[in-house]
This record gives sequence, structure tokens and C-alpha cells, in this order.
Amino acid sequence: MNTETIKQKRVFLIGNPNSGKTSLFNALTGERKRVGNWPGVTVQKIEGIIKTGSHKLVVNDLPGTYSLSPATPEEEIVLKTLDEASGNVILNVVDIGNFERNLFLTTQLIELGISPVVSLNCFDTFTAGGGNIDLNKFTRLTGISAFPTIARTGEGVTSLTEHLAGIDNCLITKPCSCLRLPEDWISAADRILGLNGNTWKKAGPVEKFKAIRLLIAPIEENNPEQIEKLRIIREELAASISERTGKDLKAGDLACELASDRYQRIEMLIAECATVPGKTLPPWQEKLDSILTNRWLGLPIFALLMGWVFYTTFSIGEYPMGWLESLFTTLSTWIEANMNEGLVRSLIVEGVIAGVGGVLVFVPNILILFFWIALLEDSGYMSRAAFLMDRLMNSIGLHGRAFIPMIMGLGCNVPAVMATRIIDNRFQRLLTMLLIPLITCAARLPVLVILCGTFFGDNASFWMFTLFFVNLLVLIFLGQATSLLFKTEENSPFLLEMPPYRLPTASSVFHMLYEKVEHFVEKAGTIILAGSIIIWVLSVFPRDVPLSKDYDSQIVQLKSGPVTNETAGKIAELTRQKNIEQMEGRYMARIGKAIHPIMKPLGFSWRETVSLIPGFLAKESVVSTLSVLYLPFDENLGDAMKISGMNKLSAFVFMLFTLMYIPCIATLGVIWRESGSTRFTLMALVVYFFIAYAVSFFVLKISTLLTSSGQGLIEGAVIVLVVLFAGWYIIRTFLKAITGSKCKSCAGCQGCPVNQDKSCSGGS
Amino acid sequence: MVKTTLSLAELPEGHSGTIRDIDTSSPTSQRLLDLGFVPGTPIKAIQKAPLGDPTTFQIRGYQLGLRKSEADLINIDVIPDEH
Ligand SMILES: Nc1nc2c(ncn2[C@@H]2O[C@H](COP(=O)(O)OP(=O)(O)OP(=O)(O)O)[C@@H](O)[C@H]2O)c(=O)[nH]1
Ligand SMILES: [Mg+2]
Repeated sequence: MNTETIKQKRVFLIGNPNSGKTSLFNALTGERKRVGNWPGVTVQKIEGIIKTGSHKLVVNDLPGTYSLSPATPEEEIVLKTLDEASGNVILNVVDIGNFERNLFLTTQLIELGISPVVSLNCFDTFTAGGGNIDLNKFTRLTGISAFPTIARTGEGVTSLTEHLAGIDNCLITKPCSCLRLPEDWISAADRILGLNGNTWKKAGPVEKFKAIRLLIAPIEENNPEQIEKLRIIREELAASISERTGKDLKAGDLACELASDRYQRIEMLIAECATVPGKTLPPWQEKLDSILTNRWLGLPIFALLMGWVFYTTFSIGEYPMGWLESLFTTLSTWIEANMNEGLVRSLIVEGVIAGVGGVLVFVPNILILFFWIALLEDSGYMSRAAFLMDRLMNSIGLHGRAFIPMIMGLGCNVPAVMATRIIDNRFQRLLTMLLIPLITCAARLPVLVILCGTFFGDNASFWMFTLFFVNLLVLIFLGQATSLLFKTEENSPFLLEMPPYRLPTASSVFHMLYEKVEHFVEKAGTIILAGSIIIWVLSVFPRDVPLSKDYDSQIVQLKSGPVTNETAGKIAELTRQKNIEQMEGRYMARIGKAIHPIMKPLGFSWRETVSLIPGFLAKESVVSTLSVLYLPFDENLGDAMKISGMNKLSAFVFMLFTLMYIPCIATLGVIWRESGSTRFTLMALVVYFFIAYAVSFFVLKISTLLTSSGQGLIEGAVIVLVVLFAGWYIIRTFLKAITGSKCKSCAGCQGCPVNQDKSCSGGS
Repeated sequence: MVKTTLSLAELPEGHSGTIRDIDTSSPTSQRLLDLGFVPGTPIKAIQKAPLGDPTTFQIRGYQLGLRKSEADLINIDVIPDEH
């Protein structure tokens, strides 16, 4: 290949949230990145490559942004990339179904001397609604080229690619666009730049942007001389605009004037070259919306949908899970039949298959859960759900948008923590991050499914629900307590866009499922495999364990005699006892017994205790470790636990503890990265251990008290819930009374009055 | 024509008005301006959430949910019904 002749350039996708950037990115590059029908799907810069005949285009998908004034961290990414991007190619994705608002960003780009290539996306719905645009006129008026696209199907992408390959940068050479900044603004910005020896002509896009911001934003300058200069420039600008427009403007009105002026330019442009569909939403959508967000029906429908999602995840998931289980059992039996007994066979059967297989059986549950979540996301329901839940979220100090990361947390806490970037207020983002580990991720399901199934039989679903409920109470409690203790006066703005309903595409549902399963299987193949092997090693070494009696010779003796049913039973029993006793002498048991005293008050045996350690690496490992440790009792983990003396109560407490005890290492890793604070991360680690311990201990003690006085588990649970609730209420009232709603100390959140007067240095 | 001025939060469901001004002392205002909440723009209250807050509004051909605290930053002019 003659690589030298192939030119490489970068293309940056910029556009409003939910305008279809990632869809277009996928259509351009053949990648399959996550697409969803709600604003804020993409939170990171992602890259892909298009190869055309003579060019290699590196495409960057950026998070969505409504304007260049950054309000959230991911919008800031866009501003930071702007200087680099303008030397390359900017592809501005405009959702033509939402033309005016999408063109606002385009206008801002043009004002900064950038000439983006525009893709008029969602062209299908636009034409279907009766919309019409004269592209030649659009290009003539704006000075930029526009391409209609349907990113979902890939229509229009070919000519767009060709065009992209033909341009080198997007700095405007001839500044004649009907969207450009009016002269008086330019000369005022030029004077601002002049304060630092720069000029409008020489300045780069970001410098220009900052100059304009200095004209309209509250003054943050400390130097009185500069403030005075700024003030004069602003007043003169206001005067000159007043003269031009006949309005009576003050310097304080400039922000409003600039936005109005931009929208005026946009309205004029659209009036000149396009007919926009009069009705924005088709009637069926309005009807659907009025049902789904209805005052009386909205919440019940939401509850039913969520109930359905969980019900199918567990009950339908049971069947394929059974098939997979028997598949792995057959595999083990086959290996045992065809391989000589020894360490290698034991490694394969007891280490790898028991560990990895024990986790892989949950793939069906994950498929079902994410099938529904993908449908809900893609149809546009998620934004409605956030709308419905905002008030509740708000009462635990969260933003309605926090609901989305929380739902994602059901799959895996790691992407959920990353998704908190869609929350713009730092305090609320940290709070959401802190609460996410309380959302039961898919990795924690195995423990629940097995233990509930074994110990609660027919009532499994009910008890599973109870566990979720206790978890939820803890979440509410922690959220309330934190926001009461650390609340700031200022709340982040709540702006939640309601995207139109769309029919989910098979491919995007498929991609979501693929991505989730891939992630899960990859984890099973890497971290869980490694963990399983380590656990296996720790549970088969040392080889020689002193035994209480000479099992082998007793077995040999029995075998030499006549073989009856009775002797066969005795042999099996002796072998089992030998295995159990051997396990007790292995390293794993030694570790378990050493730390057992810490967990003993919760009624855990050393086996449960030690299984929590690999659970820190990956929550799935709790089950795979237990299966290895309990193997001598019975092939089936549930039965084995029952045989070894676990009862309903201890199973319940163990599940409760496993749900909450600590975030796994991957989650802690992203929390650390996203919060940028080691202290906060350590807090997340410690807080959960204590909470889990306290709640489990409490539940155990109360239930024991009640069971010994003759009450059943159900009454016990009800009383525990009531007590928890009452406790929460009392503490809440108490906290309210002592803290008021003042900011006592804070995690360094923006806009906190304490931070501003510098009497508190902030937490991070 | 008699116009009355209300805060956007007071606009009843299903009713429309025209944006009159916006409180620029709040940091949220810049975002609202960027989203098209500029004076003279028609706006309609669509639906309140079941728990009373937030409310969805229709503006410039799209729908946006705003909490009462944000809607209070915006003043609107409405032409009252005859009755
Ligand atoms: N009808 C129609 N729908 C589209 C088109 N392009 C994208 N969509 C849908 O629009 C929604 C948003 O698409 P995304 O590609 O996730 O949008 P995005 O701009 O990357 O969104 P963020 O990452 O949240 O900023 C999805 O439901 C897509 O299926 C199109 O051309 N026509
Ligand atoms: Mg995206």
C-alpha cells in the first residue's frame, strides 16, 4: 500500500444532544456505538475511521451540546476541542425537525469564523411532516454547504463523505453569511481582544468566543482598571445597538439581546429558504404523551412497566438459565468421565467451569433486562420517566436526570457512574455517584437468584422484592441525609428535553444487547477467570491436610467387602466428610477463618466471609467462590448451603450484606476518575461497608428477637421496615433541626456561597 | 387587547403566552436564552408531572421540561380568555 499518498484528516461531529450524531457517526464509519433516544447518551469523545479512495478520515463523535457556553462537563469537551477542530473539518449535525434551536449552535460557530459542513439530519420525519427546504438557497445565504441525511438508515451519507474528503479546514475565508455577528458586536469584541493586544482578525475561535462572553457574562474580573474598561465597552455597545434597533438597551441586557438577535437571524433564514411543518408532533404522539405522563396514570404505568421488566428478567430468564446450567453440568460430567483424576481435571472442572460457568448462566437474565431497557430508551420513554420521577428524585436531593444513570446502574454501576456526567451541578453529580452503588447491578443478581430460589422457594420473587425495597430505603435515607447535611442553596437548572417518540430500531436494540453481553462475557473471561483460578489454587493447596481419621483406609476397607447399597452410601458419606475436612485445611479456609471474627456477628460462616473478598474484584465472583467452597457438600450450591446449616434468616442477611457491602473495584475506579477526589472515593468505600454491616446486623437481631418470641420471618421483616422508616424519619427531623438548610461544609461544589467567601476550602 | 403579565410557572396547562423578559441575574438564564427563551417567543404549557412539578412546555417546535424554580425566572404576557 502506498500509505504516503493517503491523506489523513480529522472530522469532528458537533451538534445538539439527541440530534443523531452517534447514529451518523455509525453510518459514516460502520462502527456501532451506543445510540439512544434521549439527550446525553454520549458522554465521551469517541473515534472511528472512514477510508475513501485517497483519504483517511478520522471521525470524532463528541457529546451533544445546545450551545457553546458550557454548562456540563461533557459540553466543555466540545469547547475545548474547538480550536483543534476548526483547523480540521467540523461536521455540524442539525436535527431539522428542531430547526431553530439546532441552528443556534451553527450560528455560534459561524460567528466565530468557522464554516461547518452541515448535515440536516432526521430528514425523513421532516419531509413526512410536510417540511421542505431549498438547499441551494440555504447554502447561498449561509455560506455553508448542507446535506440532508437520514442517519438511522444511512441515506445521504455517501455524498456527505465525498464532500468531507474534499475539504481541508473550516475556517471561513469569505465572511458573508446571513448568520454572522452584527458589526457593532464584532467591533466591541475586537476592543475586548485589544485589551490583551489581540484583534478579531487574528484571534482563534476560542479567543473570539471568550471575548464575546466577556461582553455578556457577569464580570468576574478582579482588576478594577479592567472592570472599568469592560464597563465602558459594554455601555457603548448597548448604545450602538439601541441606535441601530430603536430599543432602549442597558449594558445588563446584552446577553438577552445577543440571544434574541441570533434567533432573529435564524428565523429570517428559515423563512427565506424552508417550510417547516406546522404541527410539531403528530397527533398520536400527543395522545400517547398525555397518557404516559398523565397526572393519574403516569406513575402507575411507570410502576407497571418496571414491574414487568423485573418480572420477565427473573421468571422467564429462569428457563434458559436452567438449560445453560445443565449444559455446564453435562460438560463437567463429560470431562470427569474422559479425563484422569488429578489437579488439571480439578482445575478445569472445579476452577474454570464452576467459576466462569457459574457466572455465564446469567447471560439470559441480562439479555432480557437490557432488551426492555433498550426499548424504553429508544422509544423516548426514558425522558418521560425522568420527568415523572423528578419530584421524587428531587426529594432525595437528586435531579430528575439522575434517574437515568440509576436505571443504567441496574446493568452495571460503571457506565452508570460515567453517565452522571449528564448532571451539571457538581454536588448533585457527586451525590448521584455516591448512591449508584446501592443500585443492584446485574453482577449481584446471581447471589439473589440462587439464595432466594433455594431458601424461599415459591416466595422467591416476594423476598427479592423485599431486598430491593430495603436497599431502596437505605438509598433514600443516605440521599436525604447527605443532601440535608451538605445541601447548597443553589440547585442546578432542570432542563429536560422531551424527544419525539420513535420506533426503536432492531439494530440499535441488538447493539445494546451485544454490548452488554460482550462486556459481561469479557469480564467472565478475564477478571472472573483469573479470580476463579486463584480461588481454586487457594482451595486445593496445601495438598496434605491432616485429617481427624484415616478416611482412605476406611474406604478401601469398605470397598474390599461385598458391595451393597449400604456400603455404597457409607463410602459416599465418608468421601464427602473427607472432602469437607480437607477444604477446612486449605489456604482459603485459613484466610476465611482469620477474618471470620469480623463477620461472625452477622451469622456468616467462614465460607461466606471469604467469598466477599473476590466479590470486591467482581460481584459475580461471590457466587463462583461459594460454588468452589461448597462443592464438597453438594454439586448444587443452594442445596449445599442448606445442608451446611444455612437458614432463611442467615440467607436473607447474607444477601442484604452482599447487595450493599462495597462497590466493586471497577466502580470505585470510575468513581475516582469521575469525582477526581481520592477522599470521596475512600468515603464511598468505607461508608458502604458500615452501612451494610449496620443494616444487616439490625435486621438479624430484630428478626432473631422476633423468631425466638414466636413470630415468623414475615412479621420480622415488616417490623424491621417500620423501624427503619421511623428511624429515618427521626434522624431526618433531627438533622433538619440542627443544620437548617445551611451549607455546613461541602464537597467543593460550584456556586456554594461558602466557597465564594473562601472560608471553606472545599473537599476536593 | 388587555395583556397580563405572569411568571411562566403560573401559566395553566394547555394555555399559551409570549415571553416578555427573563431574569438575567440567575446563572441559569444564559442556558434558557440559548435554548430559545428570548423575548417575543410564543410558549405553551403542556403538562404538569403527576407530583405537580416539573411542567413540560412547548417552545420553538420542541418540548422541554422545566421545574417551577426555572419557570419562575421567565415572565410572560398572556391575553386572557373572554370569560
Ligand atoms: N427518524 C430518524 N431518527 C433518527 C435519525 N438519526 C438518528 N435518529 C434517532 O435519534 C435518536 C438519537 O440518536 P443518537 O445518535 O443517539 O443522537 P446523539 O446526537 O448521538 O445524542 P447524544 O449522544 O445524546 O448527544 C435515536 O433514537 C436515533 O435512532 C434520522 O435520520 N431519522
Ligand atoms: Mg451520541
